[in-house]
Amino acid sequence: MTTGAIVVAIISFVLGALLALMMIPILVWLERRGAGLVQDRLGPNRTNIFGFRLGGVVQSFADVVKLVLKEEYYPSHISKHRWLFMLVPSITFVAALLAFMVIPFADNVVIGGESLRIQPLPVDFGVLWFMAIGAIGVVGIMLGGWLSHNKYALMGSTRAGSMMIGYELPLGLAIVSFIITYNTIDFNAMVAWQSGTVLGFLPAWGILVQPLGAIILIVALFAETNRNPFSVSEGESEIVAGYMTEYTAMKFAIYFMGEYVAMNTASAVIITMVFGGYQLPWVGTVDLVTHFNAFALAIMAVLPIGILFFIRWMQKNNSLRPSVRSDGSREYEAKVFTYVLIAMTLIVEAILIYLILSPEAFLSRTIAVTLLQIAIFVFKLMLFNLFFILVRWTLPRFRYDQVQHLGWYYLLPLSLLNLFVTAIIVVGVG
Amino acid sequence: MLENSIFLILAIFLIGGGLTMVWSRETIISAFGFFVAMLAMAGVFALLGNSFLFLAQIMVSVGAVVVLSMMVITAINLKEENLPDEPNKLRWIFFTALIVTPFSLLMYRTLVSVHQNFAHTSEGYGSLKVLGEALFKDWVLSFEVISVLLLAAMVGAVVIARKELSDGA
Repeated sequence: MTTGAIVVAIISFVLGALLALMMIPILVWLERRGAGLVQDRLGPNRTNIFGFRLGGVVQSFADVVKLVLKEEYYPSHISKHRWLFMLVPSITFVAALLAFMVIPFADNVVIGGESLRIQPLPVDFGVLWFMAIGAIGVVGIMLGGWLSHNKYALMGSTRAGSMMIGYELPLGLAIVSFIITYNTIDFNAMVAWQSGTVLGFLPAWGILVQPLGAIILIVALFAETNRNPFSVSEGESEIVAGYMTEYTAMKFAIYFMGEYVAMNTASAVIITMVFGGYQLPWVGTVDLVTHFNAFALAIMAVLPIGILFFIRWMQKNNSLRPSVRSDGSREYEAKVFTYVLIAMTLIVEAILIYLILSPEAFLSRTIAVTLLQIAIFVFKLMLFNLFFILVRWTLPRFRYDQVQHLGWYYLLPLSLLNLFVTAIIVVGVG
Repeated sequence: MLENSIFLILAIFLIGGGLTMVWSRETIISAFGFFVAMLAMAGVFALLGNSFLFLAQIMVSVGAVVVLSMMVITAINLKEENLPDEPNKLRWIFFTALIVTPFSLLMYRTLVSVHQNFAHTSEGYGSLKVLGEALFKDWVLSFEVISVLLLAAMVGAVVIARKELSDGA
């Protein structure tokens, strides 16, 4: 391995770990603020460190501190197998975390004639890895509910297990139809396939090429992550908290965080398979590198305007009602962030000007394109996470038999039909 | 050296998990042992560089077999009196062991002789492409026959399950 390969491997690993783990507090915050938005209230927005509220993200860190320091409580009948009781939440958490590690964040970088993957685990069988490792997570849920010796926990875990069996089949068949269409099991090659166009003008995203398969994939992944409207395994109106009923403090928090990691992983898989991954629509990686100057000028023009609007929005909203006496901390926070944002914009503009003026710097242009693709990936990931959150706070929960009915009677036959039609078309055209 | 130590750790988990599954008197510890053994088996395949077997092992054995057997155990609520009584258990074990002894010897011989001459793997061993080509070029008939057999087994299982249901109702 050359130095470049080692640097790229370390950076993509750190990036993957950050995207998976640092997303948890942000997603928890986004969920609560999203719930506030839907229910016409504000959500957590007052916790601060030296006056910095970050819009309320600090609340998530306060929650983690509270959960770590909280007293561990065990039901008295769980004395013999306490080690297993403590161990199983991490099975769910680690499975969701590992499944995220095969998502490509940008196109392969060619350094010194060597093609390097921007992927925490640089493997070329990403889809199979996601399906295999993602299936382990339910074992943690089932063991946890079973060990709790509690009828609500046991019902929750059997619900989770049977739902996973019911939705794994449509999910697998939908993924197989995507594998046939893209003719690969490599996530990065899937994204490369999607950077073309279909019918001459539409971007060749999976949702346009395979609409039925994409819908089945999204629905089945919603069910796999135990999110609303499929959260029957923790339905608090029927079975208290399902498999998490007997879990307290940090053990509960690991289940809770594992759910958010799984949601983040599901979003990443959905955007990689059906929404073009890290690509802009109509624009492939080669186009980005060859017409670099045009894109750099466009970013230079759009970025200050966007930042300006953001700063005005922030200064308008980061204030108290006129009737409340202010201590000036919100104004101070807004002022600091204004300066930071302006400085960051200036730095980005300076780097882009340097890259435009030095036409020989091919490598630095490639790196700039990679950074742009990572930014696009994170943007799409956040959009889809927001979609998950809005769905949760908009739709009511399905009844348990309705969930099973949907899986077995509608999604499974539809995904089989989709698979047959896809195979006939691919063989007929090819 | 590193490979040997990884193999040793995986083997300890594999054998320990298997023994726990057989010997533990508590179902949940058995289930956990089964899970650990299956994961360790996948790890051994990964150590051999066979990515397909590694993934298939996790997908089929952990994702399907372990989860399904746990589902069955939690769903049927088995009690002591539901189990069949085994009056001559020790005698059965003794005579079965006697019958199995020659096969065990054969197994031992095979393992010892295989140890001396391992087959050399070809280029691209363990990759999905080579496996798919082998399955659909050289072994296509057996592949199709096995799939028909599995389909027949599935239909049979559904028929048996439905009959039980109508008897009970």
